[in-house]
Amino acid sequence: MSSASASAVDSAWRGTLPRRAAAHLFTLLFLAAWAAASLVAPSYLLPGPVEVAARLWGFATSARDLGHVLASLRHVGIAIAVSFVIGSLLALIPYYRPEFRFAIERRLGPFLNAFSGVGWTLLSVMWFGIGPGTVIFAISAVLIPFALVNMAAGLANLDRETLEMARSFTRRRLPVFLRIVVPSLYPFIFATLRIMFGVAWKVTLTAELFGGSSGLGYLINLARQEFDTATIMAAIVIIIAFVHGVDRLVFAPLQNILSRHYAT
Amino acid sequence: MQPDSTRAIVPLPHRLIGEGLVVLALVGWWLMARRLPEFILPNPLSVARRLIDLFITPDFLQHTLASTWRVVVSVIAALLIGGGLAFLADRVPVLRAVVDERIKPVLNSFPSIGWAILAAIWFPPGDFGVIFVEVAILIPFCLINIGEGLRAIDRELLEMGHSFTRKRARILWRLTLPLLIPYVLAALRIAYGIAWKIALVSELLGAPSGLGYLMLRAQTAADSPTFLATCFAIVVIFVAGEKLVIVPLERRFAQR
Repeated sequence: MSSASASAVDSAWRGTLPRRAAAHLFTLLFLAAWAAASLVAPSYLLPGPVEVAARLWGFATSARDLGHVLASLRHVGIAIAVSFVIGSLLALIPYYRPEFRFAIERRLGPFLNAFSGVGWTLLSVMWFGIGPGTVIFAISAVLIPFALVNMAAGLANLDRETLEMARSFTRRRLPVFLRIVVPSLYPFIFATLRIMFGVAWKVTLTAELFGGSSGLGYLINLARQEFDTATIMAAIVIIIAFVHGVDRLVFAPLQNILSRHYAT
Repeated sequence: MQPDSTRAIVPLPHRLIGEGLVVLALVGWWLMARRLPEFILPNPLSVARRLIDLFITPDFLQHTLASTWRVVVSVIAALLIGGGLAFLADRVPVLRAVVDERIKPVLNSFPSIGWAILAAIWFPPGDFGVIFVEVAILIPFCLINIGEGLRAIDRELLEMGHSFTRKRARILWRLTLPLLIPYVLAALRIAYGIAWKIALVSELLGAPSGLGYLMLRAQTAADSPTFLATCFAIVVIFVAGEKLVIVPLERRFAQR
């Protein structure tokens, strides 16, 4: 896309139109293949696109289903906030106290990073029983290493000269932190949140399925026991649409604004 | 995550603080385990004993090996399929939007448990279903990284290549693939990590063996020493694979 050059308009016209057509054709072919396969296969194996669409409409009109969607959103939101704070604090410790760098970046970080998400989920079920606390604990535990690694990279990237200049103005640490360190971290904070949002949705449903009493994962678990595959597929479609939509409509424009501000 | 650059210059006191905190955590665990019932927090010693079992006793080793070879097969398959899709998008312009705007976003946002449930419905329990799920979860990571690499390849270098030969296979072999290696390695590292950490859900539903299966079985039976030992076994295998396979590969190809 970025290789557009002098004859940009002309080549764009020649280039994008067939590509768009191909993309839409692919979507249609995919839906057609799905519909054809669903005619052959029994409904609990593969419900057709129409059936899933009808179920989606049911989601949009049912208060109970919407409540589960909101519960999932709440789990993800709280878990991202909690793990971002904990991960950033862990990243800040070696920045101010270098003697702990080895402990955090070479012992705690790799351990958290290697611990399986499934392990956290089942462990928190064992410790806290079933409920929203379990779900939030499991998602946060998976997200913390992502926050730690990214924020540590941001702190390692701070401009030494700017910091030195700031210290020549004041020796108090708080103003330097608030006025210099935090603003220079904005791009990293943003990138961290974007990654965490993507990963969070990959593990949330698992955590809700095994340890939740609400949320889309819980709903999927109920549907699974009733062989209600249409509901499972509808929930998957909702998540794909939501994750992709937020990435496209919220994160991508914000990224543009940020990179305009911080462009070198 | 960045290996090595700091390895040589860790001062001894810092190292002592690090190892000291690990020991302190283990002692703290041991003290807490004495007050709590075993199914909540087992003694670290019994977990350690079970952890050794997982690598020695044939009954347990079978699960460890099953998970490991599934991860290896899935990572390789995902690299091939993801790389193939990236090449398709790069070489056949008409299909670029199909890959970048249809296949990539859908696979990338697909919840991992969704694959696991669908595979449990579609396939009989066994290796094929598990590997299907793991590959489906890993493909977008490989596709994104290798696609990034293809985009970053220097056009001028390729042009130079074309001035020497018109054989496409030769340019692919001598120029494109070597230039892609750093991106393939990055994809490998990410896919390997995701495989152990997230794709293991595939073994919770519809698998008759594997560490994920063992973990869920132990958790349901409130056998928490086995459960925690399984979690630690994953940490051990994950770190060992990174140190023994991925880091040497990166070193070998970074020296070129």
